[in-house]
Amino acid sequence: MYKLLLILKYLRRKLAPLFAVLAVALCTAMVIIVSSVMGGFLQQFRDAAHRVTGDVVIEQPVTGLPYYQEIIDRVLELPEAAAATAVIESYGLAAVPSGRTMPVQIMGIDPAGFNAVTPYYDTLHWTSQDFLDHIDALIRRDPPLPAELLSQVDAARDGYASHDIRQYAMTFELPPQWREAHDALPVCVPGIALFNQRTQQGKYELLYSPIVGPRWRELTLSVLPISTQGTLGAYEPARAKFVIVNEFKSGLYDIDNHRVYVPFDVLQKMLKLDSYPRVDPRTGESTGEMAPARTHQIMVQAADGVDVAALKQKIYAVVDQVSAEHPDMPLLWVQTWIDRYAGMLGAVENEKVLVTFLFAVVSIVAFTMIAVIFYMIVLDKTHDIGVLRSLGASRAGIASIFLGYGLAIGIVGSLLGLLAASQIVWNINEIQDLLAQSIGFRMWDPQFYVFDKIPSDLDGLEVTWIVLVAIVSSVLGSLIPAFIAARLNPVEALRYE
Amino acid sequence: MSSQRHHAGDQANGALLHARDLHKHYHMGDEDLHVLRGVDLELTRGQWLAILGASGSGKSTLLHLLGGLDRPDDGTVHYDGRDIFRLRGGKLDRYRSAHVGFVFQFYHLLPELTALENVLIGAMVGCSILDWPTLRRARRARAKDLLAQLGLTERLRHRPNKLSGGERQRVAIARALINEPDVLLADEPTGNLDADTGKQILDVFRKLHGAGQTIVMVTHDTAIAAAADRTLRLQAGRLHHA
Repeated sequence: MYKLLLILKYLRRKLAPLFAVLAVALCTAMVIIVSSVMGGFLQQFRDAAHRVTGDVVIEQPVTGLPYYQEIIDRVLELPEAAAATAVIESYGLAAVPSGRTMPVQIMGIDPAGFNAVTPYYDTLHWTSQDFLDHIDALIRRDPPLPAELLSQVDAARDGYASHDIRQYAMTFELPPQWREAHDALPVCVPGIALFNQRTQQGKYELLYSPIVGPRWRELTLSVLPISTQGTLGAYEPARAKFVIVNEFKSGLYDIDNHRVYVPFDVLQKMLKLDSYPRVDPRTGESTGEMAPARTHQIMVQAADGVDVAALKQKIYAVVDQVSAEHPDMPLLWVQTWIDRYAGMLGAVENEKVLVTFLFAVVSIVAFTMIAVIFYMIVLDKTHDIGVLRSLGASRAGIASIFLGYGLAIGIVGSLLGLLAASQIVWNINEIQDLLAQSIGFRMWDPQFYVFDKIPSDLDGLEVTWIVLVAIVSSVLGSLIPAFIAARLNPVEALRYE
Repeated sequence: MSSQRHHAGDQANGALLHARDLHKHYHMGDEDLHVLRGVDLELTRGQWLAILGASGSGKSTLLHLLGGLDRPDDGTVHYDGRDIFRLRGGKLDRYRSAHVGFVFQFYHLLPELTALENVLIGAMVGCSILDWPTLRRARRARAKDLLAQLGLTERLRHRPNKLSGGERQRVAIARALINEPDVLLADEPTGNLDADTGKQILDVFRKLHGAGQTIVMVTHDTAIAAAADRTLRLQAGRLHHA
């Protein structure tokens, strides 16, 4: 009983326990924050990778994958598959009217099908409200716009107010108010970072203002078709003009900075992947047969609760079956989204483990400090130890006071650390904004990083482990001082000055 | 064999504590200080024994050995017929807790605890956390009673730094008495007090002795020692009749 009383009394002393609690709290908070931010990174990479890929991908990336509709139909017969869609993935150049040209990844998609295997609709960045807010800001502008422009801006309002602007990216149609100006051009949806630059707050600006004129919404894409033998030069480069109807934001900067979604059939034609009459290579004359149209990928969404690895095995069987029926089927790859991004995810996972480990090593310094603080407390309490021994306290009893003290410091410190860390992790972006506003310091500049927000993911199991390790470490830190206290000669302890 | 023979003898004599041929050395670098050179002592129940000696003569050492706080290099201390230094498994700790009460010259109160808690801690040490809830009320009442008897009713919640020297020593006496020990071992209990306060403490000891408390008190002051009913002088490491 005296042990509990003394632990509680010693905890209420002034600076020594405060420093010890602070050391444990800081270490715990530091490791939790690092682990959560790195975990958030990893989770965001995983989510983003999953978001742009679907669960399983069947692929023939260069020469293309024929009989894809047959494969899709058979895959959809599987109870493990919920949806499947063909996707063309190519690379080319994007030119904007300003004269800027950049290399891009061009994805030919059927928006509805693509939305069934990925959260495509949710990634569409601009809503009608964004356009309406932008119009309102232009109307309220000081100095005001010239009257002619003002009426032009105001006139555009109805078009946005009456329709969900994102629907045009879902149907790949031009909004009615743009049709006349763009003469029935196909539409496209580029990544948000392709033309937009993030502000320091991680936001984007709406560039398609009603006052800039329709041509600024146009984008020219150029691609190089590749022959079925996988060679260049068989075809001339293809070029087409598209109208930007929205921009998407996957959250993965590399994707948002390079990718453009265009209608599947338009890109298929540009890349000469559509069906064509076969020609006899010896005579150069038509055989009367049509070569099947091709795609580069089939993305498959697993049914609810289905393991993607299990779905992959089922798809393998389907692919083997279709390949057996079509001798001209090239070799196909079947990958889960995890297989596809294993390199990137593995690297981030390793980085997380390494950084957390490094910070855990740094924490050893703090726990050495706890041991030193406890040793100082033991020295300070040498008289007390002598008195307690004279009252009949055993060596084990004396040791348990200091071990219990370490345990109490560990519990209080780690819980305070957890509290601090959770507040920091949950509000890390707000804290950063506050720092940026008050002292101009921004630790994470969203203009330059892969994600536009500091990611964080407070994992309950991981946090529990960190807290437990902190408590155990605190007890271990008190072990040597407790042992020293227990070994003290009571007579020498009483004489200690 | 030898221990058992003493044990039989002690019981026949009515000796509560019996020290025989106690030797204690201290090593100060290369120097060997042979402080106790064969001390023999018998203490009967209810006796107040004063041990006189100059500073550094080994009085405190002898007291520590009698209380089982230190171990002799040679010799034995029998309590109630048993050699206390042969006690195993925490029995020596229990001997100190249940049968002996120490009073030190410098009080040695725990600074974080109040006067009442300083007294109660003596009871807590000998009690498990499971037993304490049932014993708490009685122990608390006894602690308050002891402090009241020693004139400290108004000082229960005061910490040692808020108490005078005499008050601290009375708290220390209450702490030593909380478990109703058979022997009170007092090491210069008035040594750190002024003459008047020293007299008050001595009066406390007189009352305790009057109530039958066995006391061993070491002091360098012959006037203080005169209060005891038996005085021995520790000189050259041996006890002599004063």
